[in-house]
Amino acid sequence: MSRDQDPQDYARQARRLLVGVLIVALLGVFVVWRIDSPRVERLRMAVIDRVVPGVDWALVPVARMATMLRDFQSYARVYEQNNELRRELQQMKSWREAAIQLEQQNARLLDLNKVRIDPQLTHVTGVVLADSGSPFRQSVLLNVGARDGIRDGWAVMDGLGLVGRIAGLGTQAARVLLLTDAASRVPVTLQPSDQRAVLAGDNAPFPALDFIEAPDLVRPGDRVVSSGDGGVFPAGLLVGTVVQGTDRRLRVSLAADYRRLEFLRVLRSHDAPVVDGAGGLILSPAASPAMTEPAPAPNSVSEEKAAIAAPDALDLVRAEAQDG
Amino acid sequence: MAERVRRQIYVWRAGLAGFVVLVLLWRLLPPAAEAGRWPAPDWLLVVACAVVLRRPEFLPAGLLAALVLAEDLLLMRPPGLWAALVLGGVEFLRGRAAFSRELSVLTEWVMVAVVIVMIFLANQLVLVLFFVPQPAVWMTGIHLAGTIAVYPVVVMALRYGAGLRKPATGELDVMGQKL
Repeated sequence: MSRDQDPQDYARQARRLLVGVLIVALLGVFVVWRIDSPRVERLRMAVIDRVVPGVDWALVPVARMATMLRDFQSYARVYEQNNELRRELQQMKSWREAAIQLEQQNARLLDLNKVRIDPQLTHVTGVVLADSGSPFRQSVLLNVGARDGIRDGWAVMDGLGLVGRIAGLGTQAARVLLLTDAASRVPVTLQPSDQRAVLAGDNAPFPALDFIEAPDLVRPGDRVVSSGDGGVFPAGLLVGTVVQGTDRRLRVSLAADYRRLEFLRVLRSHDAPVVDGAGGLILSPAASPAMTEPAPAPNSVSEEKAAIAAPDALDLVRAEAQDG
Repeated sequence: MAERVRRQIYVWRAGLAGFVVLVLLWRLLPPAAEAGRWPAPDWLLVVACAVVLRRPEFLPAGLLAALVLAEDLLLMRPPGLWAALVLGGVEFLRGRAAFSRELSVLTEWVMVAVVIVMIFLANQLVLVLFFVPQPAVWMTGIHLAGTIAVYPVVVMALRYGAGLRKPATGELDVMGQKL
């Protein structure tokens, strides 16, 4: 079969070439993503930022329907639920008394110790727009973004416990990587044994606890709170309670209600001050910048004075340190 | 007559794009968020295989690539890789559309299953080579098995729901050429 006799053959060749170019281009996108992931993820976030608020109107009624259906299912067993709630209420009453007493005691103790609670731990509340509900990626989209001052890495809670952290930011939307995602790793503390561990998501409803120092000391039912190690999360956020899986692995039953993620708070966390030099703590703040500057300009007298004064101050501090 | 047949092609292309949008909407809905659920089959891949073996002109390569890439971006998959593999697999099937006209449904299912398994294997291999973290193997296995299992269902649905079937011997297309 010679080529010039069959016009369809040319078309077939051109088509094959086109498909080849397409495949190579797509693989190129993948390789670029692997090499420079943040840039492509920003592009992805921009696409989501454009698309998802646009389809919000379509998502709302269906989501509402699903919620109604779930609520209806719970109506079906309203009698048992009522009894259950009564029982729980009885228990809660005694707990409430205990809590009030403890709160008063706590306030007194805090007052005695002059403890100052961090005033910067404020939050921004957002509504869940949608989520990429694939079983391989556990994340939701919030309707707050960079325009509301959100930053990557901030912790996200619902009313009860930690939900995840911000991973991906658009102007009007932010992606929350849930604790159940396989890529989620959060340092936690187990109470009351005070063990450090890492909460590692694996796409199961109960994320696993890794790197426990002494697993013997941990019991199912222990509280799990974030430890603040690594400076990513504020310390002391409630995560959940320890449970033991059928494979005898320690896992965490999350305090946050993952089946009803509607309103989420993003905690503003601020960078913890880092102490990196030995002298910075001891020197007075006026002297320390002059120390780091190479040579003061000759016409500014005050700076010269500061530069002269600074070595004296340093000597003084050293002398004191040697004496003490 | 020719006008009507040509319009049919565009209706099919728009319909397939709309189908992908529906699947994506369903995936993006909040109730689908729960962890530990079984992965759903990859509907787009199955439908693409079924359509391309019956009427290759209904699903051009560019449209398929755009749809899968959009799915990659929105579903947080590594962008491009899955799209490239699906395109390669479906184009392989497109080259064998004429051959598959003589196959029974069962044989065709086996052929498509082999292609889908190849796509999944290649995906896993590339992810391993590029050190991309992957989901658990059993999860991918369920995903793969589900995808293969729904193929006959999709074929039946397309046949009785949308009237898509293999062209009969001697049937002519828009330009009067044999299909």
